[in-house]
Amino acid sequence: MPSTPSKNTSAFLAFDRSGLAMRASHVLVALLIVAALGFAAVGAALNDTFYLRLATEALILGGFALSVDILLGYTGLLSLGHALYFGFGAYVSALVLKETPSFWAAMGVVLVTTLVFGVITGLIANRVRGVYFALVTFGLAQVVAKAIYNTRALGASDGLIGIPIVPINLGFMTVMSNAPVAFFLFTLAFVVLLYVAAAYLLDTSFGRVLGALRVNEHRVPFLGYSTHRARLSIYVFAAVIAALSGALYPMLRGFVSPELMFFTTSGNAVITVVLGGVGTLAGALYGSVILTVLKSVIGTMTEHHLIVIGILFMAVVIFLPKGLMGVVRPRIARLLGGGAR
Amino acid sequence: MTSVLEFIQFVLAPQMITGLSLGVAVVLVALGLTIIFGLLDVINMSHGEFYAIGAYLALALGAAGISFWLLLVIVPLIMLPLGYVVESGLIQRVFNKPDRHVTTLLLTFGLGLVLEEVLKVIFGPNTQRPPTPIPGAFEMFGIIMPNYRLFLILFGFAIIVAVALVVNRTALGAMVRAAAFDRNMAASLGVLLAPVFSVFPTMGRDFIFMAFTVVIVGGMGSIGGTVIAGLVLTQVQVLSSLVVSPVWSDPIVFSIMVLVLVLRPQGLFGRIGHA
Repeated sequence: MPSTPSKNTSAFLAFDRSGLAMRASHVLVALLIVAALGFAAVGAALNDTFYLRLATEALILGGFALSVDILLGYTGLLSLGHALYFGFGAYVSALVLKETPSFWAAMGVVLVTTLVFGVITGLIANRVRGVYFALVTFGLAQVVAKAIYNTRALGASDGLIGIPIVPINLGFMTVMSNAPVAFFLFTLAFVVLLYVAAAYLLDTSFGRVLGALRVNEHRVPFLGYSTHRARLSIYVFAAVIAALSGALYPMLRGFVSPELMFFTTSGNAVITVVLGGVGTLAGALYGSVILTVLKSVIGTMTEHHLIVIGILFMAVVIFLPKGLMGVVRPRIARLLGGGAR
Repeated sequence: MTSVLEFIQFVLAPQMITGLSLGVAVVLVALGLTIIFGLLDVINMSHGEFYAIGAYLALALGAAGISFWLLLVIVPLIMLPLGYVVESGLIQRVFNKPDRHVTTLLLTFGLGLVLEEVLKVIFGPNTQRPPTPIPGAFEMFGIIMPNYRLFLILFGFAIIVAVALVVNRTALGAMVRAAAFDRNMAASLGVLLAPVFSVFPTMGRDFIFMAFTVVIVGGMGSIGGTVIAGLVLTQVQVLSSLVVSPVWSDPIVFSIMVLVLVLRPQGLFGRIGHA
């Protein structure tokens, strides 16, 4: 789609102000951390398990949504099959943990295999753009999910069960994956680390090339950058973030199932990002918390909670195209900027 | 020699005919997608749900005693206001935003979620199957096929030709027509297919994958490409299931799509620079 000059200018101005906007995102993530710590304290005091585990899952899905936002928000590519990498990470992690319950071994194997898997699938998906990209990623996930669904060795439709409790050795202490409070705090730290890594990467010159790609893809090669390599790199990076989040899933739930790769999971991540605010990173984490709360609250009233969530989602797309962050973040940015715009 | 002939008569030919009826159906669903995209520049993720609604309407009205032939007329008429509301109430609201493709895709994705869930609320999650409207079977060269499948193939081809004529005949006003046309088509297809396949709330989603593959291979916005790709890919699907486990027919079809994308990213008959 050719960009009009005015769009270029506004995109450039938005880009120029992105430093302040990102700092506002950091503040919002810091607020989320404080809220999570408070939540953990209350949970610990009440000796709760259910809500802590639910919140841990929300964080894991938040990490996954973060990777969808990296693609959609920073390259404009909508993946409808990103659960492929979330599920991939979960399955690889589960397979390793069943062999040896070592957190670091699982993470190492997930990282390496996802790099390879991400490059192979990324080469396919990045052949195309726009709508085609959405459809190809959708198809990729669909095919792999169906293959796993029908593979006995991977547990077929039942998935893999009986993943042992994992001791996570952090050097100064060991977190057990079945301890609700400790594992919640560990997941919080893990997902915040993913956020920091993503925010850092997107702030480097590489991130600026991506920003340029989003504004005008045809001009970037004239600046001496390879568009193809930049797109593939960010795709693989997003795949790794999704897979690392997915790797935590079997530790939390003790099983993995093919549903983790299904369109529902990919679609949920897209809903999460849009609710929270595309291209803000912090929005992915907030969106995940909001969606989880919504689902459990509405879920107690009706099993057809998807109607409510679907309508809310459509309303956000129409009326609040920048999501929750579009409302909240400019105010924080204004505060940070000392009132000056 | 006789065993080869028997293989053709009892295995290969019936399988190919089944594939043809499936192919016609896939082409019709894919045509709707490609027309909306080619003329309206919108990807309709809820396309499959419209198809499912058509099937459910047929099921409900059929159970109320309305004849199949009448349903073929009534169901598309019922779908008209729904299509209009979606087009003017939802699509038009975001149509002029900068990221039109992504925004409309998101919006129709949300719509699909809601529609699918509404079907579950009204009709329950279970699979249902209406009686075949045209019973009996037909024999030719010793090959036996159900009459209804034959009807489906002929009727489907008639619709495909009609669509091609309507869309290609005039450019002016084609956009407006396409919007209404597609939704009617997706729904009337649901009526036709309900007796062959079973009706269940997620049927739209299951069918849409093949339709999208066909659209990509044929080339977004190309009617001829969609017809050819739809018929060829469904034949690949049914014939491959004779050789390998049917489980692998989807990956095979998908591999073809990947191959086409690698060699020709715009699809076999797609225009360069589109999308």
